[in-house]
Amino acid sequence: MRPEFTLHDLLSNSTERDPGKAAIMEGAASYTYADLSASADALCEALLREGVRRGDRVGIYMEKSWESVVAMLAVSRAGAAFVNINPLLKAPQAQHIIGDAGIQVMVGDLNKLSSLDPSTFRSVFYRGAAAPWQGGGCSVLALDGVLAGSGDGGAAVAVTELDLAAIIYTSGSTGLPKGVAVSHRNLVAGAQIVSTYVENTSGDRILSVLPFSFDYGLSQLTTALRVGATLVLQRSSLPGDLLRSLRQHRITGLAGVPPLWPLLLQSRDSLRDEPLTELRYITNSGGRIPGPQLEELRSCLPHTGIYLMYGLTEAFRSTYLPPEEIGRGPDCIGKAIPDTDIWILDASGHECTSGEAGELVHRGPTVALGYWGNREATEAVFRPSPVSPLGLNAEKVVHSGDLVRRDDNGYLYFVGRRDELIKTQGYRVSPTEVEELLVSSGKVREACAFGVADAELGQQIVAVVSLKEGHNATVEELRAFCVENAPPYLVPRALCIHDDLPKAPSGKLDRQAIKNAYSA
Amino acid sequence: MAVELEVVAKEVRGWLRHNVVGERQIPDDYGLIDEGLLTSLQTVELVLFLEEKFGVSIDEDEVSEDNFRSISAIAALVSSKKESGDGAA
Repeated sequence: MRPEFTLHDLLSNSTERDPGKAAIMEGAASYTYADLSASADALCEALLREGVRRGDRVGIYMEKSWESVVAMLAVSRAGAAFVNINPLLKAPQAQHIIGDAGIQVMVGDLNKLSSLDPSTFRSVFYRGAAAPWQGGGCSVLALDGVLAGSGDGGAAVAVTELDLAAIIYTSGSTGLPKGVAVSHRNLVAGAQIVSTYVENTSGDRILSVLPFSFDYGLSQLTTALRVGATLVLQRSSLPGDLLRSLRQHRITGLAGVPPLWPLLLQSRDSLRDEPLTELRYITNSGGRIPGPQLEELRSCLPHTGIYLMYGLTEAFRSTYLPPEEIGRGPDCIGKAIPDTDIWILDASGHECTSGEAGELVHRGPTVALGYWGNREATEAVFRPSPVSPLGLNAEKVVHSGDLVRRDDNGYLYFVGRRDELIKTQGYRVSPTEVEELLVSSGKVREACAFGVADAELGQQIVAVVSLKEGHNATVEELRAFCVENAPPYLVPRALCIHDDLPKAPSGKLDRQAIKNAYSA
Repeated sequence: MAVELEVVAKEVRGWLRHNVVGERQIPDDYGLIDEGLLTSLQTVELVLFLEEKFGVSIDEDEVSEDNFRSISAIAALVSSKKESGDGAA
């Protein structure tokens, strides 16, 4: 047993403890910890042969799969940082991430890679029947072939826990998605903290439904690796598929965002007739579960502890409500996770009194390194701690932008956002992303996007646009453009064309007036 | 009496046009879920629509990626329902 410093230490320790234990299950296939370690070594060596060096960023653009897990661990062992690109993203969003993170080496699915421009890459490892491009000037290797070889385990590059381990892209209240730079220390501390409070053991069989491109989705992998549990990969969250996996694999832990729970509750009759006795816990983060739904989950899952949690990618996870306190209601987000301070500060930086709403500020080992390549945004969110001891450099704390309040017993409750950030289906979306998507159709002059409360989605996206002079587009045409060029969660649920959008005296769009007029 | 495949396919195409894709044409064998066109929540909305439209009952365990992977697959599912006498009408 080595100390846990890096992501790949978690794999090495679990492999040493029980090499024959099932680490990953996908469909009918099962892979042991020894398999995972050997495959990660094989790909690690290939990455090094292709010139990947400590600190390089390697993109992973593929469906959730055994290979995608191998890729993350191989990149980690090679001393580089992985960047998971959500497979739902279309080429324009993927290209933004690739350019922003400076990705020159990619691991991906054939049909994802083929939509990208090969000239930006040095080396590409593809999963699929044929190479994504002919020519293109970069080195193109079949992932199957690489994984069929075996590594000797001696190739790993030494890094410290402070090295960059991953960049996780997420949206803010404005602009295009930003990359949250995460260290090995951040990932390992997150796995230690979560596996402690949900009490994971090697006997757990955890269902991985969320994308690995989410910090929350990555967490099921890191906690499973840390305790030597089995992770079951699940791409479909349709009710039939979800229930089948929960039963067939006798799942003990399930992590979801609010849109998942109504899908599970579609099977309410089956859950009541034949309860999931082995499902030990479920966790929710990324938004609030509506009250009646939470009640129904409690009654349909009598053997299951429900953890309500709050987190943001910049600090991974901030609070959780233990299952025995679930009666505090759907707005309660509990108390600070272990090894972490959570403060509620007012506009002048003072701690709020109980009942008073203020900004949630997070101090602890999961505070990320900052936003990749964006000093201004980093300084705005990752700020010096107000309580550093005299004479010492101030450590960095995360200012969440979320408003919360504390009750007399110290429990925290979510109040709302301070800014324009849209939270839909568990995704953070900035109005800018939606507006730029619409403008990129070439037919839209100006666009204004905002979120409107929705019981199932959290918020739904509404967009109001004016058309360019001489252009004649219908709502259906604009919708078709959005669906073609963006993932489903970025496509506005309601689209309106309005010839003359209200302006503020500065000449900018009067966003508040538009929002007021169209929110009803 | 079975609903003809084409009748179901036509309704599904109309629903997709109205609720998801706008005027974009979707081939009947296009991977609705693989290509990220239909979210899980939208699929459940589509199930409700089909149940109402054709008076059939689709069990939760039939709401799977396999049965909803394409317009053709959905048409086959709904049409098989009527044949096996599951429908209300």
